[in-house]
Amino acid sequence: MIETTSPSTPFIAKPAPIDVALQQEVELFYYWEAKLLNDRRFPEWFALLADDIRYCMPIRTTRVLRESHHEYTGPNDYAHFDEDAVYMRQRLRKITSDVSWSENPASRTRHIISNVMIVDGEHPGEYQVSNVFVVYRNRLERQVDIFAGERQDLLRRTDDDRGFEIARRTILLDQSTVLSNNLSFFF
Amino acid sequence: MTNLQSGSTPAGKSSRWADADIAALVDEKNGRLDPQIFTDQAIYEQELERIFARSWLMLGHETQIPNAGDFMTNYMGEDPVIVARQKNGDIRVFLNQCRHRGMRICRADGGNAKSFTCSYHGWAYDTAGNLVSVPMQQEAFPKLKKEEWGPLKARVETYKGLIFANWDADAPDLETYLGEAKFYMDHMLDRTEAGTEAIPGVQKWVIPCNWKLAAEQFASDMYHAATTAHLSGILAGLPEEVDITDVAPPTTGIQFRAPWGGHGTGFYINDPALLLAITGPKIAGYNTQGPAAEKASERLGSIERGAQVTAEHMTIFPNCSFLPGLNTVRAWHPRGPNEIEVWAFTIVDADAPDDIKDEFRRQSMRSFSAAGVFEQDDGENWVEIQQVLRGHMARSRPFNAEMGLGETREDHPDYPGTISNVYSEEAARGLYTHWVRMMTSPDWATLNATRTPQLDAASA
Repeated sequence: MIETTSPSTPFIAKPAPIDVALQQEVELFYYWEAKLLNDRRFPEWFALLADDIRYCMPIRTTRVLRESHHEYTGPNDYAHFDEDAVYMRQRLRKITSDVSWSENPASRTRHIISNVMIVDGEHPGEYQVSNVFVVYRNRLERQVDIFAGERQDLLRRTDDDRGFEIARRTILLDQSTVLSNNLSFFF
Repeated sequence: MTNLQSGSTPAGKSSRWADADIAALVDEKNGRLDPQIFTDQAIYEQELERIFARSWLMLGHETQIPNAGDFMTNYMGEDPVIVARQKNGDIRVFLNQCRHRGMRICRADGGNAKSFTCSYHGWAYDTAGNLVSVPMQQEAFPKLKKEEWGPLKARVETYKGLIFANWDADAPDLETYLGEAKFYMDHMLDRTEAGTEAIPGVQKWVIPCNWKLAAEQFASDMYHAATTAHLSGILAGLPEEVDITDVAPPTTGIQFRAPWGGHGTGFYINDPALLLAITGPKIAGYNTQGPAAEKASERLGSIERGAQVTAEHMTIFPNCSFLPGLNTVRAWHPRGPNEIEVWAFTIVDADAPDDIKDEFRRQSMRSFSAAGVFEQDDGENWVEIQQVLRGHMARSRPFNAEMGLGETREDHPDYPGTISNVYSEEAARGLYTHWVRMMTSPDWATLNATRTPQLDAASA
């Protein structure tokens, strides 16, 4: 669910150093995930989502510092996304259909992922990961959208060649008014 | 999006449009629209003055600012305003502009405040918009009469929870302004004696298109939903084993055109084929069966209105639109002739069970929002229309808005106003006809005189 404060709880203090191999494995997972999105291999990207996925993007608002704890909408408030596996499957059906006009012709996206910080999750094999993104979108003749923000993920280790699945993704967008005509793609 | 902002606006008339030239842009009798109404800068400037500074504009829901000192900032046209709850429960709306040097008084989206202090020179205002403090007044402004230098204040009225404001002292009251449209607004606002409440959070996004494309679609366009535009949105909501070709769009329903006032709505009646795909089964059930639907039927006076109206779309002139049954409510704030900001929120029956309230939240987000599987595609269509209208030839021929021309009645036993088939552009013709009235009338006295006696009698 959506965290009402940022940064999220595990990342208030500097994370302890972790195994270099794990760091590399998580980063490689993200790079591959980004490539699947950028190459529009949506069914394969969808397979990286856990059955209990929560895919959320709260609304960000402009507040005076005194009320900055209200900057993000809360878990029961309106949001840009608050999706479970059923809704994500519906989105997959839309984006892969040939009548999805917002993505047919398709957007050209480039997901750039960085600042990957990992701490152990509550359960063995789970990791809380903070990472930042820049998503560039270009579509049709000359539409350009640029999005930046933080993703707060819960990754769960799998015993197949995916390596991990995404059990939770909270996307903190660095825009209050979304400067785009739609959010027809994935972060 | 940067594509229109970085480009130049198609050159239009730099001088003011004459009334006769404005009137010639809309041919109501033949259903023709001159595309310049969507692109011309001078027309846009006249819209800000003659439409947005004189109409009742929707600014939110009462439950968004429940406590004294609660406020939210919003817009009336391009004018920023503060909407604030008073200690006595009243709501005040005033221009978010310091009268000293024009600085924005409040730069937050919302919150709770005892006062607002301009960050430039410190002039301070109470939550009713009165200038209460001027730093170093004795030395700097010894003769200043503070009561004369408060920000401009708007009239405020509410209709069943929705807050509206109007700058024009001569405009009719809100209920008169809404007229017969209230009957249809009640499909969303008056299903229970508990009324409605807003789910916290206002979603805002930018669409590079003229505001009238959005307003008109929500007033008058069931056609796009039943034909091509939302095929993938419908597909997304269908059971996995059902394909889009298995679903026939409904054909039973009506469209309403306000006889005067520019409002419009349309909906299917007892033909729920698309309902599951739009709202999901849980809301479909809540809206059409069980105690909530029964109560709504009783309050609204018929099972048809309480439980069988589906996929309703509606616009209150000029820029407030909503979808009863899914309960997304939004303003299309104009940002020049080529751009809008959409400000959207969702309301629910105040006495609905918590799981139903949450389902409205998630379903309206899933379907009608910036990321909504339906609304994504609206953003695509309107943007491309606006882009094409940069062309000289593209603006040189009228658009066809003749669907349902002449196929109307004003004596429907169950539904007030001008009624036509659910697939019609009668409400669009009504919206643009009223647009011409407002653009060419110098004041509300003139506007009121354009109401015909028969129509006044019909709405009384």
